[in-house]
Order: sequence, then structure tokens, then C-alpha cells
Amino acid sequence: MEEKKTLLEIKDLEVIYQTDEATVHAVNGINFSLNEKETIGLVGETGAGKTTTALTILRLLPERTGRIKGGQVLFRGENLLDKSVPEMRRVRGAEISIIFQDPMTALNPALTVGDQVLESLEIHNTAGKSKQELNARVDELFNLVGIPAERKAEYPHQFSGGMKQRIVIAIALACAPQLLIADEPTTALDVTIQAQVLKLMENLKEELGTSMIIITHDLGVVAETCDKVAIMYAGEIVEAGTVEDIFNGKEHHPYTVGLFNAIPNLDEKEERLRPIDGLMPDPANLPQGCKFGPRCPHFTEACKAQTPYIYEEKEHRIMCNLFKKEAADE
Amino acid sequence: MSNLVETVDLKKYFTVGKNRYLHAVDGVNLEIPEGKTLGVVGESGCGKSTLGRVVMGLLPATSGQINFDGQDIVSCSKKEFKQVRRKVQMIFQDPYSSLDPRMSIYELIAEPLIMNKVYKDKKEVLKRVQNLMDTVGLAERYINSYPHELDGGRRQRIGVARALALNPKFIVCDEPVSALDVSIQAQILNLLMDMQRDLGLTYMFITHNLAVVKHISDVIMVMYLGQCVEIAPADELFANPKHPYTQALLDAILKPVIGSSKERKLIRGEVTSPIDPPAGCRFAGRCEHCRPECTGRDIRLVDVGNEHKVACVLAGS
Repeated sequence: MEEKKTLLEIKDLEVIYQTDEATVHAVNGINFSLNEKETIGLVGETGAGKTTTALTILRLLPERTGRIKGGQVLFRGENLLDKSVPEMRRVRGAEISIIFQDPMTALNPALTVGDQVLESLEIHNTAGKSKQELNARVDELFNLVGIPAERKAEYPHQFSGGMKQRIVIAIALACAPQLLIADEPTTALDVTIQAQVLKLMENLKEELGTSMIIITHDLGVVAETCDKVAIMYAGEIVEAGTVEDIFNGKEHHPYTVGLFNAIPNLDEKEERLRPIDGLMPDPANLPQGCKFGPRCPHFTEACKAQTPYIYEEKEHRIMCNLFKKEAADE
Repeated sequence: MSNLVETVDLKKYFTVGKNRYLHAVDGVNLEIPEGKTLGVVGESGCGKSTLGRVVMGLLPATSGQINFDGQDIVSCSKKEFKQVRRKVQMIFQDPYSSLDPRMSIYELIAEPLIMNKVYKDKKEVLKRVQNLMDTVGLAERYINSYPHELDGGRRQRIGVARALALNPKFIVCDEPVSALDVSIQAQILNLLMDMQRDLGLTYMFITHNLAVVKHISDVIMVMYLGQCVEIAPADELFANPKHPYTQALLDAILKPVIGSSKERKLIRGEVTSPIDPPAGCRFAGRCEHCRPECTGRDIRLVDVGNEHKVACVLAGS
């Protein structure tokens, strides 16, 4: 096996949103790492802290309310949380870039799409390239994402949803970043267009060797694109591992099991779906001990008392007391 | 078994500029037997929501017939339509924007009852609201809450309770679970299926999610640019898709299994313009089997057996 270099490492990251009424615990001590040329999927439901994690990596949390309570975001060994604002500005777009969920609102309606792609090239033009060279790069990027370069003088409203998402991808890739964060990149798109966009991202990953963090709630997207998976629930990573561990492994966190059961199965005819009982806890008022406890079919008093046991086997990590008992039995 | 809802050559055109027409729904014939579910699938812009709204009577049809329980609701008088309206209800896509934020849960669910003067006594209204909340699984303590206090799943339950308030026979569900998380989506789908079993409801279920549509539907209709390109019983459609567009749609599904579809066929291009489309198969421009006979004349639905109909020149050959 070839030596893999760690690109990004997140250690004990804790983020809160402080409002007048409450303290919202959005991310509660998560750890994960990403090697070069790898793709990790962050999976979870609304409010699990996926997007907050992404915004923290780029230091784009809302200024008034977002607070990073602790932890480290190590990007090629440097802690991004220690960087000054101008330093951070040089990282964003050039080394780490992000694709937002909704291409309809991510683009500026008053600028041509060509200018929007050009913008990030101009900002990060440290090599002092000429205007012509930058424009040539814009054409190259349009070709890369499969849009005829003649259309760069058009405005966003002249493009369909799938095309807009391609333009957003072109902007994100403009400076050949080492890490691309895609926040629900295909949720707003139709299935046939989703397949096209995922294929495009896959090709780009192979060509450019970019590492990716894909944030999604769609396990189908994860199976298609990711090498590693982290399942998030209430600001914690409850299960993490390689894509094989999550999809084919024997041991799972009860929440992961619930997520898989809740999807209608195309190959079998079931009369009823098996939803997870209850709701995601209010992040301003999280339960003691295991956060999934109140919804868990295997809940015991021990789960309430302390933070759950962490089961580990190679890269596969599960945060659940169920596996503690088994360990004791052996 | 009699059909509760039938449409005959139903068309809905929108005017765009001068003398140009957007063919949102273009000659759709459908039949929904009582107590069954018709799933309508297609990508955004294919006219599925417009179809739902026209069938509901929320938008006037350009031409064609909609028969509800044997009565044509396109040509009937306003007064007659008001009677029909009580039996036809709708569940909307987004529970965040379809509920008035200034109304309490009680007011929201009681609104259809008060509007239609169903009960004389306020106590009876309250009783019915409590009863409905119980049916859709909303705890009674929420009765004086406002929508913003509840999560998406509970809000969508209010949408279901409002739709059920007047004891309708037919409900158009327009993407009722698309805005919800998977675990909540499963709760609402189970609720809708329980309601159908207990109250004998008939559904038209509009969605772009193929796994959901297979789960809930008896018959599935695939729409492309305002037309029905294929219609078949759910299992038959998934086992034996005939239209190249249906095949591409099914092929594009991402299954939560590793390595399930590395060799996926992608359809090229995107949906073409629905404004004054030329005669012929509307999928032709994206179709890999496109041949000269596909253009120039409209392609009719052909019965290929097993209640399976396809609008494609390849079908039957």
C-alpha cells in the first residue's frame, strides 16, 4: 500500500451558536482525518452539524453567533483556527473551496458567469498572470465542466439548474484547490442531472487529484462517490469508517441501522417503512450521555449516565455502549 | 372497480409573450380507480405539479375533461364545483411555507371546517380538530402552538390533517415528503398509507423520488414535457421499463449499495423547452435510439400488455 499523506485533520472540534435565548451545541467534539485524493462523506439529517463543520473549516461561521469553543483544524499540518483574517482569505478559494447546496442562490444574478469564474482567479492571481492568460483559464474551466465557452457572457438566469451547478463547480475549481467541500451538491437537482454532476465530480477528482468532503443525507450519493464515511448525529460522529465498513460491515450504530431502514427499498416489496422513532434532540438542550439514547431501541440506564463506549476496529469507529457489553462477554 | 378520477385529453397551456404557448400539460389521459394510488414521476418542469393543480381545479384546464365520480368538473358550474371541491384536497410540498405562520394549529386545522360551515357548534369543531390531530399522530398539547414551534415532520402532519378535515375521497399529494429528512419521510409515508387503508382514500402522488413512488403507488405514470410517456403498474414498470426515458430515470437512481452501478448510462443534455414544442417525440433530442420516424408526428401510447402503455416507436417491435 502506498503511503498516504494526511491533508486535513480535525481534532476535538467544538462549535456553538450563542444567541440571547440559548446556547446551541452544533458540533460537539468531532474527530476525523482526510488523506490526499480521498473523499469523505459526512452523512446525517438536518441539524446534525454537517454544514457547521464545513463552515468551521473555512472559518465562515456567522460572526455574531458562531463560536469555536475548542479543537483544531489542521490543514497540511497548520491549524486554520490560528490564522489571521488576511491569511485565511488566501486559503479560501485557492486551497480549500466550497460548493454550496443551492446553485440558484450561490451565483450573483447581476454578473455574467464568465466574470464570476474570473473573479476568484483575479483575487488569487499571485503569479501575476496577464488578463489573457486568466481568460484562457476561464475557457478551459468551462470546457472542463462541459459548458461551451461561448456562453460565458451570459447571466445565471439563462442557465438551467444543472448548468448553474456546473458553473459553481467551475468557480470552486478555478484555482485548483487541494480540498473541495461540497455541501449537498446534488440535492436541488433532478436525478438524471444528479447523475451527470456526480460523474463530472468523479472525473475531476481523478484528473486533478482533489480531496473532497461531500456533505449529504443521501446514502446513495455516498455509496457512489466516497472512500470514507462519517455518520453525524446531534453534533457528534456516531459512526465512521471506510465505505465498506458502513455499507457492508456487520457492526453498526443503531442510528445508522435506522437510517438504512427508513429508505424505501427498490428491490423488495415492504408494506411499511421502519422510521426511527422520535425526533432529533434540540441542540440547545441535548440529552445526557448518548445523544441518540431517547430514540434508541437498545437504550439502557447506562447510556444515560456517561458518554458512550467507543468501539474500534481498524478504521471503523462506533460510539455505542452495545459493543461494550460484547467486549465484556468475551 | 370504478374510476374515481379520469381525465380525457387534458391540456393546460400557459401564454408566454405574444401568441406563444408553454405546453405544461399536453393531452394527458389518466384513470385512478377508487382506493388506489397513481404515482406521477418526472423531472422538474415536466408538468407534474401543473397536472396535480389542474386535476384539483386550482388551475383552469385549457381543454379536455376531468371526470370526478362521473361528473365533469371542467365544464360544471361554480356551485356544482363547490360541492366537488370538498371531496378533493391537496397536501403541499413544503410544510414550511404552506402554513400561515400567524395561525395556531387549532386555527389551521379548523379553517376548512369553518369555511365550509360543517358544524354549527364551536365545541363540535374543537372535537373534530382533536380527533384529526389524534388521527395524524399530533399530541393534543400542540393545539395552541404555532407552526414555527414544530419541526418539519409535525408540520407536514398538520398539512395532512387539514387535507383530511372535510372527509375527502381524493387527495393530490404534491411532493409531500421531499422537504423532509429520511427518518421523518418514512413516518409520513406510513401515515399516508394507513390513512388510505382506514379511510379508503384515493391518491395522486406526485414526486421525483423513484424509491418513494414505487413504495406507495399501485400504478405509475412517467411524464416528460407535459406528456405521459409510459404508464404501468408499479412492479411492472420497474421490472420492465420500455421507454428510453424511463430506462434512463431508473438507471440514474443511486442505490445505497456499494458498486451497484458503476456502468451507468447517462442521458445527455437536459430537458428541452416546453414552449411550442414541435410535433413528435419530445424526448427525441436526448434519446440514443432516435430515428427519423420519431419526429414529425405525435407518438401515441401503445398497449404492450399487462396494463402497460408506452409512447415510443420502439415499443411493440
